[in-house]
Amino acid sequence: MNQVKEIFIIQDRCMGCHTCELSCAVVHSRSGNLYEAMAEHPRPVPRIYVEALSSGKPVPLVCRHCADAPCMHACIAGAIRKTPEQTIVTDPDKCIGCWTCVMVCPYGMVGRHPEEQKAYRCDRCPAIGEPACVSSCPTRALVYRSVDDYSKNRRQTAARELSSGEGG
Amino acid sequence: MGNSLSHLIIGAGAAGMAAATAIREGDPDAAVRMLSEEDVRPYFRPMIPFIISGKKTPSQVSLAGVGPYADAGIDIRINTRAVKTDPAEKTVTTSNGEVLVYDRLLVATGSSPYIPPDIGGTDMEGVYALRTLAQAQHAAERASWAKSAVMLGGGLLNLKAAFALLEKKIAVTLVVKSPEILSQLMEPRDAAMIRTALMESGLRIITGRGASKIVGGNRGVCAVFLDDGTELAGDMVFIGKGVRPNTAFLSSTGLDVKKGVPVNVHTETAIPGIFAAGDTAVTFDPVTGESIVTGLWTNAVEMGRCAGKNMAGIKSAYTGTFGVMNATQVAGLPFVSMGIVHPDKNACEVHTASSSDSYLKLVFSQEGDRLLGLVMIGRIEKAGLYRYIIRERRDISPLKDKIIRQRLHAGDLAFGRH
Repeated sequence: MNQVKEIFIIQDRCMGCHTCELSCAVVHSRSGNLYEAMAEHPRPVPRIYVEALSSGKPVPLVCRHCADAPCMHACIAGAIRKTPEQTIVTDPDKCIGCWTCVMVCPYGMVGRHPEEQKAYRCDRCPAIGEPACVSSCPTRALVYRSVDDYSKNRRQTAARELSSGEGG
Repeated sequence: MGNSLSHLIIGAGAAGMAAATAIREGDPDAAVRMLSEEDVRPYFRPMIPFIISGKKTPSQVSLAGVGPYADAGIDIRINTRAVKTDPAEKTVTTSNGEVLVYDRLLVATGSSPYIPPDIGGTDMEGVYALRTLAQAQHAAERASWAKSAVMLGGGLLNLKAAFALLEKKIAVTLVVKSPEILSQLMEPRDAAMIRTALMESGLRIITGRGASKIVGGNRGVCAVFLDDGTELAGDMVFIGKGVRPNTAFLSSTGLDVKKGVPVNVHTETAIPGIFAAGDTAVTFDPVTGESIVTGLWTNAVEMGRCAGKNMAGIKSAYTGTFGVMNATQVAGLPFVSMGIVHPDKNACEVHTASSSDSYLKLVFSQEGDRLLGLVMIGRIEKAGLYRYIIRERRDISPLKDKIIRQRLHAGDLAFGRH
């Protein structure tokens, strides 16, 4: 079975370069290229956010596409649905900008577009196979894999580190 | 499967439809029947102000099969009201005289607008206590010729309806008995920025006054008299004074339903097999510990889903909700209000911050280590993250500075130790 892929964050690999934010904004712009995107209205916005922890270390954050997504159930306009690929999407034509989704997302991952007055979020770039944030990350702090595949990989990495004495 | 249960849901609003969907997901073979006293298929009730403005058509606010809501396999009977419930026989008698048998029953009858009895003339043509799609359609028709409208009550429903009317070039006056608008959701000083934005949008606001009498002629309502004798012209009048749970048909069950239907953490009433959810159910506020009834779509869905899961045999607990919780945007200003927003200044630590386009109020516990409530205006980013820490009663001491600066993010909670 072709398992659903998710964007995983390997926090200690992130160096805070914000390339993921830039490539996300560009891929969601009208023109799809950086130079034209900079002059576009409405302004292209990223759907992934590199924030700073209290220690100063950077961490990229993005919509988790929750299995039982609170935003989808809370929406008073029926604008949010789950696709067969298990992606939670907001239909901008149906969104009325009431911000109920912003109020209930426990991760704070629903954006409010200042010009369009519509909610937006990560759509996992359905048109290009691998999300732009993942393919553009220079340190591979973001990976796009199925849960099973990712956890297997993490187990193997941990085992390697332990056997070579690096993990202790 | 043979052993699937028969589910009966009274009410086809947010709680009822969320429950029906959850039952469908949990038990694909169960029979799910719903009764709705309205004459239309289920719809997104909070959207009805858009029917008045003409921004949406009735078919555009239809609910079944939209968003997360199931459509197939749910038997929805419109124009049908529950008149009597017999828990011993597990039957419900409908307004058509039909007797329906159930294994699991959900009371999701919602609420009705409160009409203050001391205001005369509230039954006149053109006076609305906006609740149904049919009323909104009627109001839309009247709005096509009306010149003026008076809104009684300064809550969100009336503000949304007021903006629908302003878009139709109708002169709108909002009359609020409280000292300030939105008094349920914030304190007067919190509302200052919103009030300014509303007035700049053309809304006339009168505070500290109530209506005493609504008067009219052969075309229905034409004016409202206030308690100080002022007369306001109004071809339409909207009463937005809150809602009360619909529980009358449960009088034969022996449940004490004067203030709503009490339920346990699994949304089940004192009678096994009978559940209640939404506006009609009594739930609890995890911050104050108080029993509450709320009239919020989002709460009703959350509670309805919990009820539906339990009805389908998937044990699920409802974690309660805040007595105060809402978000919206009026006059170009987004805002969120949640938790304790009318704090006892001696028992809470309150922080406020404002700029030209935003306002923030944070209410912390007396010890300063728990966030209890907030009002965000203008900047509402990540409001749900704050809702989470309020509800979980997290010790926020290490993150307090970030909270006060409105810089908290999910990474602080997930990776905070790194």
